[in-house]
Amino acid sequence: MKDITIALAKGRLAEFSIDIFEQIGFTCSEMKEKSRKLIFKDEEHKLRFILVKASDVPTYVEYGAADIGIVGKDTLLEEGRNLYEMVNLKCGACKMVVAGLATLQGKLDSLNNKRIATKYVRIAKDYFQIKKGQTIEVIKLNGSVELAPLVGLSEVIVDIVESGKTLKENGLVVLEEICDISARLVVNRVSMKMERKRIMDIVEKIKERI
Amino acid sequence: MLKWKLHTPEGVQDILEKDCIIKREIEERIASIFQSYGYYEIQPPTFEFYDVFAGESGLIEQETMFKFFDRQGRILVLRPDITTPIARIIATKYKNLKPPVRLCYIGNAFRYDEPYQGAKLREFTQAGIELIGANTPEADAEVIALTINALLASGLKAFQIEIGQVEFFKGLMEQTGLNEDAVEKMRVLIDNKDALGIEELVCSYSIPDNLKDIILSLPSLFGDIGVIDKVERNTSNAKSLNALQNIRKVYNILVDYGLEKYISVDLAMVQSINYYTGIIFKGFTHGLGFPLCSGGRYDGLINEFGNNISAMGVAIGINRLMSALEGQQVAFKSWKIDSLIYYLDSGRRRAFEIADELRSQGLIIEMYLGTGNPEDVGAYAKQKGIDGIITVYDEENIELYNLLTDEKVKTTVKALLKDS
Repeated sequence: MKDITIALAKGRLAEFSIDIFEQIGFTCSEMKEKSRKLIFKDEEHKLRFILVKASDVPTYVEYGAADIGIVGKDTLLEEGRNLYEMVNLKCGACKMVVAGLATLQGKLDSLNNKRIATKYVRIAKDYFQIKKGQTIEVIKLNGSVELAPLVGLSEVIVDIVESGKTLKENGLVVLEEICDISARLVVNRVSMKMERKRIMDIVEKIKERI
Repeated sequence: MLKWKLHTPEGVQDILEKDCIIKREIEERIASIFQSYGYYEIQPPTFEFYDVFAGESGLIEQETMFKFFDRQGRILVLRPDITTPIARIIATKYKNLKPPVRLCYIGNAFRYDEPYQGAKLREFTQAGIELIGANTPEADAEVIALTINALLASGLKAFQIEIGQVEFFKGLMEQTGLNEDAVEKMRVLIDNKDALGIEELVCSYSIPDNLKDIILSLPSLFGDIGVIDKVERNTSNAKSLNALQNIRKVYNILVDYGLEKYISVDLAMVQSINYYTGIIFKGFTHGLGFPLCSGGRYDGLINEFGNNISAMGVAIGINRLMSALEGQQVAFKSWKIDSLIYYLDSGRRRAFEIADELRSQGLIIEMYLGTGNPEDVGAYAKQKGIDGIITVYDEENIELYNLLTDEKVKTTVKALLKDS
């Protein structure tokens, strides 16, 4: 029997995922120990867990290098890969929003030449260009996006908001909500067909837990 | 500065000796299966007018085509598929065709896809068939059976052909009365098996409960043929019911072909629904994250070129098939050079004669082009894995050197050619 490979996004989401897999009877205790290993095996159930960067999870799964992946909806939207999105794990619930200075409230649509700073270039373009039909200039940043409107790099930002605390502390407000974000279980299109029984078994068990 | 002349553009590959032998072998095996079912090969041109591929029901988005201009300023494209040119050919050059017409092709197509190594090439080889002018479950089944046999002939062992029917989804959507945009949104969600998204969308419209249930269950409507029975009872529109009947008929014919073990069903296979008009299918195998082949019925395509004829076809991705075969460690025989001929000047004329004679007997003969002494010749043969050296001294005398047994025999040209 072939191993089923599960790609987990490094960090908080991996810990959450490991808990779920343990609850449904798989062993990944090895992963809880602090180590630099990236591959872990559950020999009994023929499972293999791999730890990858969050934004790489969809890539591993689309190519079939991993059969299953657990990753945030934000990453899925941003990567736009061709996958089956099977389960909403409801963990890490937050929102993708447009934020900016309070003075922009209600004026966003009338603002000509919008510059948008974000880590999520594709999500920003989808939202403004396709959904709202507005031309924008996207400035790709890799972190501390909240800073951009404060120093005049951009008018607004597109980012994930959980409690809104970071925004508030930097004097920004949510101008528009784009969509809800939470962790998802995704499956490679071919694996789903070639290993239907085993994968659906895992999917169903996880669905029951949520 | 980067020296571009040392590189290839993203998405194309050099295919070197070993892979080339395997590729040709696979292509030949598949072509001979096509032929054994009575399919004639045709070769459309590599580039055509953009207009050929720009039709309403086109499968290929315009941004994925390689475009250039001719001297009159008309837009040309490198063919992004081979089915569309064949549809043009059928409509314009087979006006009085006596159906069915069976055609096949092997050739390269070009798409400006994201540059992914291996799985998504920008230049890739497709082998395919088109069965034109026959719109029956038997015709559908023939194309699927032929696909399975072609994959088997290539050496592939474990694979799955999954059948869907786009009319099933179209029928359900007509019944809901949703507008085009909502249907397209639904199609994408179903294609991604995104149960949550489907539920949100379905609940935002007023759709009767029984219909709602079927749409919600679509992501899980895949597996063996039993799926059809499960959903048939709850389906109430004629279009969807006909689609289910069609799958069942095709399946039963494939049972008579003895190929049902390769077949599964997925009613949520809803890609390219503007292009396909009936059965749609894809092939999958272990170790390859993408489909190996895809096909289906596209009764509207030839009509784009002014002749309303039904058609069903499939294209097999040879590059993907190669990487699947490699992953599954299917061995291919490679040929090798049988003998190396080395001659002295006095034996040159005779050496060419011997080489010609042995080649005509089917042996593979390499002439030694170096300037070295006999030891160098031996070392060269060893390095190239050639097991025999024929040294031609003059018109009469030769030496046969078997490198496997390390035997050297002096003999004459006459004796050699008589023996072999």
